[in-house]
Amino acid sequence: MLTALWLVPAVGGILCLFAKGRTARYTSAAFAAAVLAYSVWLSVPYGAARGAWGIVEAGPSWIFGIRYHLAVDGLALSLVWLTALLTVVCVALSWRQDFSAGYWSSFMFLEAALMGVFLSRDLFVFYVFWEAVLIPMFFIIGLWGSDGRRHAAMKFFLFTFFGSLFMLVGLLALVTIHHATAGVWTWDMADLAGANPGGRMGLAVFISLVIGFGVKIPLFPLHTWLPDAHTEAPAAGSVMLAGVLLKMGIYGFLRVLIPVFPKLVWDLLPWLGGLACLNIIYGSLCAMQQKDLKRLIAYSSVAHLGFCLLGVLSWTPEGLAGGSLQMLNHGITTGALFMMVGFLYERTHCRGLSDFGELTGRAPWMTFFFGWAVMASVGLPGLNGFVGEFMSLAGMARAIPLMAFVAATGIVLSAAYSLPAYQTVFWASSGAGSASPKVSDLDAREKVLVWVLCGLMLYIGLCPTPLLTVLAPSVAAIVPYGFAP
Amino acid sequence: MRDILAFFSAPSLWPQLTLGSGILCCLAAGMARGLEAATSRVLGTAALIVALWMLLFTKLGAAGPLVTLDSLGLAWQILFYAGSLPVFLSLEADDEVPAALLLGAGLGMGLMAAGGSLLMLFVGLELASLPSYLLVAKLRSPSAPPFEAAVKYFFAGALASCLFALGMALHYAASGSLALSSAPGPMGQAGLALMGAAALFKLGAVPFHFWLPDVYESCAPALAGFLSTSVKSAAVFLLMRLASIGMGSAMAASLPWIGAVTALYGALLALRQERLQRLLAYSSVSHAGIIVLGVGAWAAQGCDRAAAAPIFFYGLVYLFMSNGAFFFVKASGLTKRGEVGGYARMCPVPAALFATLLLSLAGIPPSGGFLAKLFIFWEAVKAGLYLPVAGAALAALIGLGYYLGLIRDMYFDEPVWRRPSWEPGAVRWVLWACATAAAALGVLPWVFSSVLERIFS
Repeated sequence: MLTALWLVPAVGGILCLFAKGRTARYTSAAFAAAVLAYSVWLSVPYGAARGAWGIVEAGPSWIFGIRYHLAVDGLALSLVWLTALLTVVCVALSWRQDFSAGYWSSFMFLEAALMGVFLSRDLFVFYVFWEAVLIPMFFIIGLWGSDGRRHAAMKFFLFTFFGSLFMLVGLLALVTIHHATAGVWTWDMADLAGANPGGRMGLAVFISLVIGFGVKIPLFPLHTWLPDAHTEAPAAGSVMLAGVLLKMGIYGFLRVLIPVFPKLVWDLLPWLGGLACLNIIYGSLCAMQQKDLKRLIAYSSVAHLGFCLLGVLSWTPEGLAGGSLQMLNHGITTGALFMMVGFLYERTHCRGLSDFGELTGRAPWMTFFFGWAVMASVGLPGLNGFVGEFMSLAGMARAIPLMAFVAATGIVLSAAYSLPAYQTVFWASSGAGSASPKVSDLDAREKVLVWVLCGLMLYIGLCPTPLLTVLAPSVAAIVPYGFAP
Repeated sequence: MRDILAFFSAPSLWPQLTLGSGILCCLAAGMARGLEAATSRVLGTAALIVALWMLLFTKLGAAGPLVTLDSLGLAWQILFYAGSLPVFLSLEADDEVPAALLLGAGLGMGLMAAGGSLLMLFVGLELASLPSYLLVAKLRSPSAPPFEAAVKYFFAGALASCLFALGMALHYAASGSLALSSAPGPMGQAGLALMGAAALFKLGAVPFHFWLPDVYESCAPALAGFLSTSVKSAAVFLLMRLASIGMGSAMAASLPWIGAVTALYGALLALRQERLQRLLAYSSVSHAGIIVLGVGAWAAQGCDRAAAAPIFFYGLVYLFMSNGAFFFVKASGLTKRGEVGGYARMCPVPAALFATLLLSLAGIPPSGGFLAKLFIFWEAVKAGLYLPVAGAALAALIGLGYYLGLIRDMYFDEPVWRRPSWEPGAVRWVLWACATAAAALGVLPWVFSSVLERIFS
């Protein structure tokens, strides 16, 4: 039943490759919509199961304890929804572009691999899907990106593969250490949970896994691939990158690092939390300096993911729930922002802040929705960003108050880079040679897309309880590992 | 006389006898002028396929003092014979000599696999090497200077043979026998080290790699595929035999480090290569390094035959990857890295097949190359060889630089030349088969693992 979630898009991807002309785009749309419908429907059996692990699908054991084992809990389910939703958005977003079959099939393959990452409970299967994500994304950036795409694609792949190698060796060592103490070969996350390998070996494994997941988040010194990749990718590629791919890192923290190394995470909390704070402050400061709209949003992602990580690390129910919720929020909000920058770029082939101005009259709908998404990103109460950030900070305030205080300045900083950018692009007077005259307002298709995402921002902002209820069992399953207050 | 009869009637040698008859048939077919031109090609392929098929019926065990076939020798014969198959498809139709030489090399490797004493290993090694030198002289790439590579290969190989003979002599002096058992004392250690050096020479491991890039670059691409798979697996097999003789020796203990250094060195030099065949040659040095690391890890854990499966798997996957990559070079007619630009626009299907092979060579999941690397790394981690593993992982990262670089150029660049050539026919099927197998071994390894269990249990 869960296999369908990754197998269906994979089959769709293969079909797209062989489709001629416009058929490929219809094929990908049909498959993406089917996956979205199916993933939403999954909430029915999941709700009926009522357990932390709602739906489980396990195959026979292969060799050395490797097993095809998929399951969803609330956390996985919510990320599955996000992936399915954003894939549909991406397909619809590029509908007018005259891309070849490979483009549409890449998005299908990307969806398949991402689903696999969020569903797998076996670390080996998890790693295979994790790596498989790179291949379609590499082609999406490199083939359909803007001028610097060649370099950005290579940098993206090399950087993330660098992290993955650490992760691979770390996982191998982890499994081997566990075998030495427990006497069984297993890659299953549930069996490895609470393993707590200690000593210098345990620390080395822990650090290599932090590097592996940290590259994806991206954690402070490992973030340099991100601005290039996000800026050069096509609009839909940026949506997937920021919306879903970055979440894989946090997901790794939640699924692997915290359950397997509770003691080390707790002992090293000041260091990890410090890095998360650096993410927030450094990302915000960098974002302030950007002249390119996409680059600015990319750096803002660095800062926002810092909030997610901080919430998760706080190890309190509210922090964990807030961090997880903030992952979804960031996916929706930043997805919408990148999408709208894509609309601007499609019309003008410009993304510089100073290329625009005086758009309020020309494109009132765009002005309105962009402002909406910016407010959500800044954390205006009533919209989704506020809930996630508030809960993350509240959690951290219970664990390490000083860190919560430092991180809270990030909210001010986020206003300090987002609002001036919004003002420059949409409200300020345009200079000579401005691209603004080429900008037309959103058409019906674009409006529908923006409405969906902005509606979700408002819905989560006003009424986060349903989503938090979905997340609650997974959060409750993680808290017992903690040593938190 | 009876001994000789017993020797030849032992079922464990039937595949080798098939290859021997194949050689005679090829030569006879060449002498009979009236026959159809492609006969030697068909005969050679048939002999190899029959030999592979006979492996199903060969019995393990000893047959005479010189011949002992164990599961390792049986499994490695698959690599030897299957790795020789593709090159037959690329032979010129009217020449029987290369076919006979290839079968001769296969026969030598087969004898080595069944060798129950050092003497037999040496004879098999020589029998496999001499045809290889001639093949390099005979099947060379059009642009290469005549005989230079062959002579280089010959001298390097002769040096390796000398080392092996000397090592064997020391081994005999220390233990009084040429059986596959350990020899005591420093003399035994020295003998083992010399023989190990010979095997590393054949394998092209650092610091004995210097002949390899020149040879691989100058010979026909299909032959380079053969040298990098069949012949290298023979060297790996030799190394494993020596490691199991000298468990706990300095030679066995140095293998992981030599492997890591080789993997790094090959990857670093491949990064700087402009010619495709030379790039693939250095990449094969790097892969050999990872195999040597695997052998070292295997030796560190007691040389259990059943635990050799990861090394075998690596050899099997590499067989497809390397042959496929060299066949792409042959079929596409590309020689330089700069010519690759925009190839995917002109020939999407061959480009996609090559990209699959490159991803597998780089070890990106889901591909056979990834699983192969994973298993080797895992064995090394189990043996506690963390630093060599880190080195090999770094080599994999560096390797991504040129494998992915080729994909990038093929797909992201504008086409740099007018009309691509694409050789049709059998070559295309080799490429299809290799790419499919390299991908399938990553996705469905359990199909293979059940076969493997049958062999190794």
